[in-house]
Amino acid sequence: MTFNMQHPNLPTIFSITEDEIDLNDLLAQITLASTGAAAIFTGMVRGETSRRGSTQANAGDEHQTEFLEYEAYIPMAEEKMKQVADEIRARWDAIEGIAIVQRIGKLYPKTPTVLIACTAAHRDTGVFEAARYGIDRLKEIVPIWKKEVSPSGEFWVEGEYVPKAGE
Amino acid sequence: MNHVKLLFFATIRERMGTKSLDLELPADLTIHGLKDRLSADYPKVKESLKSVLITINREYAFDEAIIPLNAEIGLFPPVSGG
Repeated sequence: MTFNMQHPNLPTIFSITEDEIDLNDLLAQITLASTGAAAIFTGMVRGETSRRGSTQANAGDEHQTEFLEYEAYIPMAEEKMKQVADEIRARWDAIEGIAIVQRIGKLYPKTPTVLIACTAAHRDTGVFEAARYGIDRLKEIVPIWKKEVSPSGEFWVEGEYVPKAGE
Repeated sequence: MNHVKLLFFATIRERMGTKSLDLELPADLTIHGLKDRLSADYPKVKESLKSVLITINREYAFDEAIIPLNAEIGLFPPVSGG
């Protein structure tokens, strides 16, 4: 665990790991005596991509996924996760603890791959929005990539976001 | 001369066939100049370089940036974590 210079008493966890994501352990680490709410986002490997729930952009993209293989530029990814945490604190000053964890390696359907958790005293503090912001920013600026392997072959999933100077 | 380390990730790593490359570059070369040199020396990554993201010492960098001494330079496609 590392501590933010501007917020010496507030726990901020960021890591890239090949190990299983332990939600209970992470939650305990970002729960303070004053914490009464946590918003947690976790994403997992989708084994079947169907039309149901799909957006127009990927409609018709029905397929099976055997596994995803993740890689990261680890030292930079951890620095950018810290930056995302700093951005969250700059926008929502009621946030107490933050955990940002990305699992890498070969990950199979139903396996959690990423976790963003934010804690606060109450639920009406922006804690939901803060967790949402965290996953959105991770997908924009944190250097992690995934290759999808399916029965019809393998392809790299590429993002679209081009960071600006200072990001 | 400037000794730099290039790090490749994802598609560009696969096309280069290596994770990293040590290069001697002229002093004051820009990112744009580095891309031109890589395009000429490694035609297999020429297409990838059109949409590549580049970092200098783990911060995003752009065409006009001058490469500092002993820089660690990352080259990769737009990110897709989560």
